Amino acid sequence: MTTRTNRGGSPVRRAVAVGAAVAAIAALASCSAESSDDNGASGSKATTLTVYAGQHEETVKALADQFTAKTGVKLVIRAGEDAELVNQIIEEGDSSPADLYLSEEPGPIGQLDAKGLLSTVEASTLTQVDANLVPGTKNWVPYAARARVMFYNPTLISADELPDSILDLADSRWKGKFAYAPSGAFAGTVSYLISTIGEDDTLNWLKAIKDNGVNEQKNGKVRDTVEAGQHAFGLSNHYYWWILAGQKGGEDKLTSKVHFMDHPDAGSLVLASGAGILRSSKHQAEGQQFLSWLASADGGQKVVAADEDAQFPVGTGVNSQVGLPPISDLHPPKADQGVFANLTKAKDLIVQSGIA
Amino acid sequence: MTRPRASVLITVAAGLVAVVSLSPVGYLVLREGFSFSLLVHELSSPATLPLLKNTLVLLVTVCVFCLVLGVGLAVLVVRTDLPRRRMWIVLFTMPLAVPGFVSSYTWVAASFRFFPDSTALSSVGGATLVLGLGLFPYVFLPTVAALREVDAAQEEVARSLGRSSMRAFLTVTVPQLRVAVSAGTLIIALHVLAEFGGLQLLSYQTLTTAIVQRIKVLGAPESARALSIVLVAASILLLFTERLMRGRRGRTRIGRGVTRVPVAWRLGRARTAWIAVATTVSVLALGVPAYVSATGIVSAIVRPELSDGIDWSTLTQAAATSTKLAVAAGIAATLVALPVSWLTSRHPGAFSTLTERAVWIAHSLPGVVLALALVYLAVHWFHPLYQTSTMLVVAYVIMFLPLAVAAQHVGLRAATREYDDMAHSLGHGPLRTFGRVTLPLAFPGIAAGALFVLLDVEKELTTTLLMEPTGTVTLTTALWATTNGEALDYTAAAPYGVALILIGILPAYLLARRTLRVLR
Repeated sequence: MTTRTNRGGSPVRRAVAVGAAVAAIAALASCSAESSDDNGASGSKATTLTVYAGQHEETVKALADQFTAKTGVKLVIRAGEDAELVNQIIEEGDSSPADLYLSEEPGPIGQLDAKGLLSTVEASTLTQVDANLVPGTKNWVPYAARARVMFYNPTLISADELPDSILDLADSRWKGKFAYAPSGAFAGTVSYLISTIGEDDTLNWLKAIKDNGVNEQKNGKVRDTVEAGQHAFGLSNHYYWWILAGQKGGEDKLTSKVHFMDHPDAGSLVLASGAGILRSSKHQAEGQQFLSWLASADGGQKVVAADEDAQFPVGTGVNSQVGLPPISDLHPPKADQGVFANLTKAKDLIVQSGIA
Repeated sequence: MTRPRASVLITVAAGLVAVVSLSPVGYLVLREGFSFSLLVHELSSPATLPLLKNTLVLLVTVCVFCLVLGVGLAVLVVRTDLPRRRMWIVLFTMPLAVPGFVSSYTWVAASFRFFPDSTALSSVGGATLVLGLGLFPYVFLPTVAALREVDAAQEEVARSLGRSSMRAFLTVTVPQLRVAVSAGTLIIALHVLAEFGGLQLLSYQTLTTAIVQRIKVLGAPESARALSIVLVAASILLLFTERLMRGRRGRTRIGRGVTRVPVAWRLGRARTAWIAVATTVSVLALGVPAYVSATGIVSAIVRPELSDGIDWSTLTQAAATSTKLAVAAGIAATLVALPVSWLTSRHPGAFSTLTERAVWIAHSLPGVVLALALVYLAVHWFHPLYQTSTMLVVAYVIMFLPLAVAAQHVGLRAATREYDDMAHSLGHGPLRTFGRVTLPLAFPGIAAGALFVLLDVEKELTTTLLMEPTGTVTLTTALWATTNGEALDYTAAAPYGVALILIGILPAYLLARRTLRVLR
């Protein structure tokens, strides 16, 4: 008799489960229904482009809004970090929903390029921007740039005491003095170093950096900790400092300063943010239209120049409106932006050194 | 008396749930690009050992911290004459409403504001404090419940045999807390293994932060996947350890009757000191996030030119999306968990144990690894679901299922089969028995499970970032977009942080209230 006790309970359990399941499925369906209506909301044949963007979300939003206002083409943005989005596009393959990719760094978009996933950019688009930053393959167009710099705290160190080259940081006399972050630009720096001083020396340099410097994980945190006086100086990207200045209400409100090196060095690289059209996109013409607008002086470049995120505009003759020096005043080493696409070895060395 | 066999339907359903839960692990091992030699290469890399050490150290310190705090506060609240016990139970539950990365963000922001040149937070101690203050309720809540289930008569017998009050408590009552404490500690340990956002802000490197860094910034997913396997191994070890800690002995007491409350210990002159301790814990766990968020909101309103003010439309949209996703996942996880918890509570055995443990493993994986696995599976086999809310809910269910299973298990244990037998003997059919006996008895546990899942979903960041439908935002992803972990100024993030906490308060309060009931 005892063996029967349990069996009969199941119809009710099932009934309860079915009822609740229906409720849950209804809830789920209501969630996904509204998310999949990105096309044809207005009824007309207005095109919507899906943009995957590793670039700052605010900057991309500003660009998208201006472009939509001008052309009526809508952009939906999927923001994230360069490496994860590029990996996602590769994983998605031909069925990728992405039409365009807007990178933060040259390396990751270069990887898409190297995998043959990008369409060639129209020549008339490429001629609108700084020729030094256009990749040899011509499959993506630079639309903004960031410079590698040092932030320093003048209460702890003066500008002329700063190292002449970031290679000097391997020297133990800098131990505990500086901060760094294993960011995308840091990986770019490493791939540049591999191409100039070779793998072995690069690895030794990385190991010394790990020993001598403080890993603050994020460039923004490098800035904030230098500003707070926790470190004398730090390696970072220029714009972080201008963002903070904007938030604090002026450059004079900050204790820390920015140091651009006055000679070519791995520490004065200029890295381009690139835009490209996915080969798998069904909207090639609209994609080209966007890139052309993005590179134009009175289109996308105007937006970049005025953007509070303070990246360098790269359109010929366009200068920053937020207090940056002209990009032509910088002293980056000569390097094709394609160099940064060779990240595999760089990653390997960064991992081997124990930095990330 | 022979045990009734589990119905085939339930067994198959539970097995299916286990298989789906393990699918991310399967992805790690079966995905092209993985090889045993890669795993060996990663393990022998000089970077791996320090990461393992860091992870292990933090695991131990956070668990010990939470054990001391969770059990200590539970004893303080249940067994002493501390005034305002209900208020304290609610306060000690509320940290559940504060996402880990929000609390560490606010701690870092506070440290920068008040001690600009201090790096004290970026240490094991800092990470332990910040993480532990958010996780200890997972030990506190079940311990309170367990302490109240212990019948005073047991300690009285021990005392009548000559033991001191304290010794009677330690030898009779404490061992009975094992199940509650070990389950709570397991949840905490797995949370620590998977924590990313909070630790990155504190610059503390663990296996998970390295894995996420390799995926998101370096773009080295193969190496990240290999490291994830180490994480899976660690979680299997933990699951095994917890099984041992918990012990095997079950307890059957049909005469539920009235458990008498043991005599409350008088705190006497130490009372003020203990009130101060309880206050300090609450201020550290809740006051810091609340204060930094409040001042952030004030400065966003007062000086909108510096932070672009508050974007109300994004805020309300994100709050609605977060709530909807959390509710959907809470319901879905509850349903999916039922066959597993039914099997483990009513039909213990090798199969049900394996099924239950399998469900836990995914809980220790960093969200980003789980997300990559599901992206891969969706792209290759379920493409129509790719980047839909449905897929996101599936991910949440896999991640947080064990929370539902554990809570349901407690609920179903309260509804032991002996009650079924009694109901049958009184002439109730099986249908009525389930509806009128089992369900009402188990309901508190089932509801608690849903609430735990709902809370964790609302706080989830990394998986959501990768899997949310393009163009939608949740509160966590909107908050993250204001910082990307870069800025230490909390102004722009504050509105989302406050919204997250406010939405979390209701489910956390419901969980506390459930515990309040046992205080009577």
